[in-house]
Amino acid sequence: MTERDGFSANAHRYLDGEPFEELEGGEFAAADRLVADARDYAERIPALDPALDAAVMTAVRSRAGARKRSAVAWLLAPRTVSVRPVWAGVLAVAAALVLWLAPRSPAPAVQGIPASRPVADTVYVRFELAAPAARTVSVAGTFNGWRVGALAMSRDSSGLWSATAALPVGEHRYEFVVDGTRWIPDPTAHAEVDDGFGGRNSVIVVGPKGLVRS
Amino acid sequence: MKTVRALLAGAVVVAAPALLVAQENGVEARLEARGLPASLAHSVAAIAAGASARGIPDQPLADKAIEGWAKRVPADRILGAVRHFADEMGNARAAVRAAGVEAPSGAVIAAAAEAMRGGMKPEQVRSVVQAAAAADIAAPGLSVAAALKAQGLGGEQAVKIVVGAMRNHESMAQLLDLPSIAWAMHDEGLSPGDIEHRMLDGGDGGAHDGWRSGDRGSRPSTVPSSGHDHFPGRLTRLR
Repeated sequence: MTERDGFSANAHRYLDGEPFEELEGGEFAAADRLVADARDYAERIPALDPALDAAVMTAVRSRAGARKRSAVAWLLAPRTVSVRPVWAGVLAVAAALVLWLAPRSPAPAVQGIPASRPVADTVYVRFELAAPAARTVSVAGTFNGWRVGALAMSRDSSGLWSATAALPVGEHRYEFVVDGTRWIPDPTAHAEVDDGFGGRNSVIVVGPKGLVRS
Repeated sequence: MKTVRALLAGAVVVAAPALLVAQENGVEARLEARGLPASLAHSVAAIAAGASARGIPDQPLADKAIEGWAKRVPADRILGAVRHFADEMGNARAAVRAAGVEAPSGAVIAAAAEAMRGGMKPEQVRSVVQAAAAADIAAPGLSVAAALKAQGLGGEQAVKIVVGAMRNHESMAQLLDLPSIAWAMHDEGLSPGDIEHRMLDGGDGGAHDGWRSGDRGSRPSTVPSSGHDHFPGRLTRLR
């Protein structure tokens, strides 16, 4: 209980700065004493330190960092997620669009991937073709993506063209390309297979211990 | 939890066709990167996407189109060849599945298709696949059988040789060495029939290891038997 508790309603209004009517005898003196005490107390309150602002802001920023950490914790904490089915469809469509757009850029060129490549091994293979009248000869096949000129052959003085390539173990198909346009199977190949275009491909089987044209 | 499952199911249902479209775009982009006209690339990609939906690998089809384009084959014939190859791989896939492989890999299907194009019958493909102890040996097994047949051996004999090697637990290297061994016998002057006999029976009245790839004497004389893979000593002359 405070001293103010014993005052009349008018005295409370007086103390609160509100309009009042009559005060009982002695209430004025008691109220004025309270007001004087309050003023005295207010004057004794020390002035705020100018550095207080900086200290308060430092504390506020520190709490902000703590909130960031708690956000990370929130993200990492396991929780149950409920999604409306319609949003599942929207997300799926979005994923589909991403997948549809993703492979627009050309896929990396695949070279030298044989029909079967069971063993991670390569063997040097030398190709030769006797073609004295040819201006250029190259070897194109499954091992170089059928790129004309990718494996260019060199001519010796007798007109024998040759080239060496490191081929992965497995089966490969190839042909010689004479003067950039004429495709001919290896005349010394052990066997040829239909290329599906009315021509013939030579076949080479490279084993880890060597190779044989078949 | 039900909601999450519904979310995943919805994503799968919607994304599956998108994956096919993405695959088609990947093939198309690859073909265009190799210089095929956009219309041809699009047509080939559509065939490849349809094939892929049937479990047939699309990359061999793209490779076939690239081969045709490199050889300056007209576009309509390229498309015809690609369609035909897709059909061949479909038949090959059926032959491989008949061997008990529910979802054969693209490599096995492509190898089976090439083998069947070389004259091997579906039941012969089935025999090789069934004899393969591991999935990754089926494709080279089919390629080796096809290579032996292409050397002049009978298809049945080629399959017997390969199946025998697989049942003898020959390594992949030994399996892939079989065509070299067969050709070494050819160089010795043996006929295809004699080679079959020797590789199947050992040529000595029933000994079954006469053809084994571990038999150094049967190796082609042109192939050094040792040395680093990239050592020039392993260079083998084709002629």
